[in-house]
Amino acid sequence: MEDQEILEQVNKLFTKILKKPNVVLTYETTAADVDGWDSLTHMMLIDSVEKHFAIKLKLMEVMKLNNVGDLVAIVKLKTTK
Amino acid sequence: MIFINKIHAIFNTFSNKNAFCIKNKYYSYSEFYSQIFSISKKIEIECKNQQRIGIIASDDIETYAAILACLLTGKTYIPLHPHQPSDRIQQIINQAGIEYLLSKSTDYSFDGIELINIENNGEEVNNSVLKIPDESIAYTYAYILFTSGSTGVPKGVPITYRNLDSFVEAFFALGYKHNEDDRFLQMFDLTFDLSIMSYLIPLCIGACVYTIPDTGTKFTNVYSTLEEHAITFALMVPSIITYLRPYFNEINLPHLKYSLFCGEALYKDVVCEWAKCVPNAIIENVYGPTEATIFCLTYPLNNIEELEEYNSMLSIGKPMQGMEAIVVDENKNQITNGTKGELCLFGLQLTPGYLNNERNKESFFELNNKKYYKTGDIAFINDKGNFLYCGRVDHQVKIQGFRVELSEIEFHLRKITNDINLVVLAIGNQNGFNQLFAVFETEMQNMEHIIDDLKQKVPAYMIPSEIHFVSSFPLNSNGKTDRNKLKELIQQSK
Repeated sequence: MEDQEILEQVNKLFTKILKKPNVVLTYETTAADVDGWDSLTHMMLIDSVEKHFAIKLKLMEVMKLNNVGDLVAIVKLKTTK
Repeated sequence: MIFINKIHAIFNTFSNKNAFCIKNKYYSYSEFYSQIFSISKKIEIECKNQQRIGIIASDDIETYAAILACLLTGKTYIPLHPHQPSDRIQQIINQAGIEYLLSKSTDYSFDGIELINIENNGEEVNNSVLKIPDESIAYTYAYILFTSGSTGVPKGVPITYRNLDSFVEAFFALGYKHNEDDRFLQMFDLTFDLSIMSYLIPLCIGACVYTIPDTGTKFTNVYSTLEEHAITFALMVPSIITYLRPYFNEINLPHLKYSLFCGEALYKDVVCEWAKCVPNAIIENVYGPTEATIFCLTYPLNNIEELEEYNSMLSIGKPMQGMEAIVVDENKNQITNGTKGELCLFGLQLTPGYLNNERNKESFFELNNKKYYKTGDIAFINDKGNFLYCGRVDHQVKIQGFRVELSEIEFHLRKITNDINLVVLAIGNQNGFNQLFAVFETEMQNMEHIIDDLKQKVPAYMIPSEIHFVSSFPLNSNGKTDRNKLKELIQQSK
């Protein structure tokens, strides 16, 4: 899967969790940029990304996610393995 | 004051040791003292020695130095959260009667306030010795914290030097084994009183305080600090380990000696699993409202096989030294037979009363010549003398450890919508976290602007995550809105 495609799918998952249809994520987006992106929504997002892409992230991997680009990269790595 | 003397002695004994680690930068006790000294001079001269001092509470050494500059000289500090809506900060400023605000940033401006810049620009401070206040400050307020209030106005809780000192004394009487080599976690906003234990106790023993970054998500920041810095003493809200739970099999923290939980109900199953992640730690559940200074009951989990619980919420244990806890019925008569009632507190850590006198009538009462505080928590005592928490009396809930009056959110929403009938509900999701739902008694309409308006009034954790519309509210037999029915309706619609 290409980065852009993963980003679009992550974006869809995120708008569903935040209940905000207009959220547009970029690779550089961080939790601080999006209203309502806190510990709870972060955990729900990781959970839905894991289910959607049928992958499992380790704690170290979750901790190293600094922006949406990092999330897309780890999804790509795990789904192409 | 015991804690003031202890901290002064530490500055002399451990001047080269580290007092703080903030954003991976260490600050020694002597550096910290210099900053405290220079800020205390500013309070004296620029703040004209006013008693009440506001502090913009950020995660930097200057903020901690400002707090200590107040505490070590007998001032009253009022922490203000930089990310809270300016309306709310202004309300607090007005209620507390603050004229001077200490801040590292000059980005703030409030009516009737002079901002004093406390940024440390590296100038050499000619240190002499801070004048230690005598025992006459016992009934002076050490700090005033503001919690959610049901009338839309934050509730001011003043804590005296005697209250705070009694907490420190009672804390040391718990007999924890710690020394100057310990590393303490400080994960709380400085407007939350659990932060005070997290920095004041280590400063009393010469240990180092590790704060967590205010960017990113909290539970990952907490975990990386626990691990990277081999933290030995951690007071946390239970939601942190609930978030970490999916990763417990990857977590091993052998350095942690004490793992304390406070601020929310602690559930048996999650903490039993957590115990395996912290093989050398003593785990305790501690309890206490802001009104009784940080915490005042403790329950050590000595034997994981025989935990005392109610609906799988762990016991909150017994009162600390200098405190008394009782359970009363609706007529404020003490219950001694182990049935449920409202938990009430009396003792050295108890606030003299709210800033606003009106509130005191409903929250305090006299019994046997003692002034008790009604916590609003339902509890009972078991045959071992331990207290068990059963839930709230009123519509107050905990969101991420913060006390939230649902009626405060309702108050603001009603005002913003020109009196559309509504309720705000807290519903636990599948992960055990409370989520807020605003339910309006009207046809569906676009409410996005209403949420934007609400953000100007209340902190982010008080913003409902979903809005629902119900054409007419179900009523209970007393003709009141049936909140439980509404909850069911909302849950079914999901």
